[in-house]
Amino acid sequence: MAENFPVAFLFFAGAALLFAIPKGNSRAIFLLAVPVAAGLYIWSLPEGDLWTARVFNLDLELMRVDRLSRIFALIFALAAFLGNLYAWHVRDRVQQVATLLYSGSAIGAVFAGDLITLFIYWEGTAIASVFLIWARRTEGAYHTGMRYLIIQVGSGVLLLAGAALYWRETGSLAFEAMTLGSLGTWLIFLAFGIKSAFPLLHNWLQDSYPAATVTGTVILSTFTTKLAIYALARGFAGTEILIYIGAVMTVFPIFYAVIENDLRRVLVYSLNNQLGFMVVGIGIGSELALNGAVAHAFVHILYKGLLLMSMGAVLYRTGTAKGSELGGLYKTMPLTMIFCVIGAASISSFPLFSGFVAKSMVLSDTAKEGYYIIWAALLFASAGVFHHSGIKIPFFAFFAHDSGKRPKEAPWNMLLAMGIGAFLSIAIGVYPAPLYALLPYEVDYSPYSISKVVTTLQLLLFAALAFTVLVRTGIYPPELRSINLDSDWSYRMLFPRVIGAVSRAIGKIWTAMTGFALRRVNGIIAGLYRTHGPEGPLARVWPTGSMVLWIAILLAATLLISFIDLA
Amino acid sequence: MSKKDDIDPENLPWLGRKLLWLDKKKNVDRIVYSLYAICAALFAADFFITKYITLWVERIPGFYALYGFFLSAGLVLCAKAMRVFLMRPEDYYAPYDVESEEFPEDQLERIDHNG
Repeated sequence: MAENFPVAFLFFAGAALLFAIPKGNSRAIFLLAVPVAAGLYIWSLPEGDLWTARVFNLDLELMRVDRLSRIFALIFALAAFLGNLYAWHVRDRVQQVATLLYSGSAIGAVFAGDLITLFIYWEGTAIASVFLIWARRTEGAYHTGMRYLIIQVGSGVLLLAGAALYWRETGSLAFEAMTLGSLGTWLIFLAFGIKSAFPLLHNWLQDSYPAATVTGTVILSTFTTKLAIYALARGFAGTEILIYIGAVMTVFPIFYAVIENDLRRVLVYSLNNQLGFMVVGIGIGSELALNGAVAHAFVHILYKGLLLMSMGAVLYRTGTAKGSELGGLYKTMPLTMIFCVIGAASISSFPLFSGFVAKSMVLSDTAKEGYYIIWAALLFASAGVFHHSGIKIPFFAFFAHDSGKRPKEAPWNMLLAMGIGAFLSIAIGVYPAPLYALLPYEVDYSPYSISKVVTTLQLLLFAALAFTVLVRTGIYPPELRSINLDSDWSYRMLFPRVIGAVSRAIGKIWTAMTGFALRRVNGIIAGLYRTHGPEGPLARVWPTGSMVLWIAILLAATLLISFIDLA
Repeated sequence: MSKKDDIDPENLPWLGRKLLWLDKKKNVDRIVYSLYAICAALFAADFFITKYITLWVERIPGFYALYGFFLSAGLVLCAKAMRVFLMRPEDYYAPYDVESEEFPEDQLERIDHNG
């Protein structure tokens, strides 16, 4: 059906048109219009395979619309709108084009019905998004962007290799539920795992996102990782190993989040932790858990965006997002503070905030399905999230010790974007029915029971009590200007050092071996020179007499041999 | 003059002025005491409400409260100990990292009430 053209094309056309629109408010309005149009269009789409392109004997499904792809596409369009509103003041065309191409690719990937289309958009998100890091235009951002790009493109290459093997195995390229087992499916799984930041494959996330521009980090936080979550939900729902991977993901980043100084990086560590909850839900694979994972992805995009927006606003006004440099900003940035606190309450799953209505679905299903240790890990991680995202972020930015900074409140566009995010976070928390109606499966779940509310409040407020006690006793680790080593140390320090040492050793062996050979060759040359050189015995000028003598000797020898022969 | 007093409250946004009471230690203490009180009430609530139990541990009175308190305190202490091994100066990866760089001023709009 030609009339249902791919949504991604809308964004790509928008990116092309952008060049014709003069810099300024008209372009900013246009940047808002594109995701609005896309959102309305997605809303109106019927379910089914709506657009097939035939390329090289392959049928590429560019528009597979079902309940799972639709909800992700809708939240992506909404996030693109909020991101562009937040970036209203930005006049940098590189970032504007990158944002459109990036969000378009992510939506395109969500609607991809086959692995080749998925691959193309998968790489599209990688290439478009790196410009949001490079747009910072510093040497550090350039190098960080390079590391990010290598890993992202690497994930795409794994996906392509996996798709080729999968095609040889099954004869199909359709992107459907897969079972881990063959090399092909493992490669695809690994490709998804890199983008969803599995433990030890995660550090591109914490390395790169805080290195982007003020607005770039907000936009980055939405798409890549949640696209990977979508891909896992589509391809590997019910794969048990995901439960354990997800549980580790929820737990280990929170330790880092507690001691990290850059508050935007703290939020990225907590993003990693939140992805863990979704991965666990996908691993369980029941309808309730999958609904929970998808609902969590939906609300997470809103409140994580909101939190990163608030820290971005602080960065925009003060030039830093480091906890050690901030504090006491609530007096001059009260609205930003309030929006930040709303985001913090949402991510911590306080009742009446959006995190609560989504996360509790996954949490209660782990216990029901008998994964007790996983349940305990998730409960611990929930308390931990409250510690570092719920309390630490607003506390060290807006309260704590007074930094003496008196920045002006965030600009109107940032406040409006944060306000909408905050409103939606509360609205979904108070009245989750519209969100539940969008989920892939029928929802028969009510988050609000006295038991659930009281136990959640107990967990969270006693975690707050622990924070208060630790801060008031001075035990809580202060924010220090520092970085913490994470798994990226392996490829940024260890491997280069090991490779350096190995190459130096190989170099030495090589020099020794070639030196030895060279000495031998030199010896031969010198020997030849001695015998054949100008002064050598074989190069002397012989007198004619000696030649005659030699001829006589040769003649005598010939005669002698002939004589012996005759005899 | 301390940094805290270097701004005229008149220059603050309306909401910021209203929130100034947080600047007083007495009021912060009040918040902390009310947190203690709420926590005590929540702990007590365990004995009055009917919990929907999936796991036996949930039967322990105050399970969620104790779990939240001790594990999050443990988390912070553990993380603090991790600093011994993991913490490095900001310029550790420089110049291949943004950590030790200033944020480019042309991408900011600093407006300071002090200025």
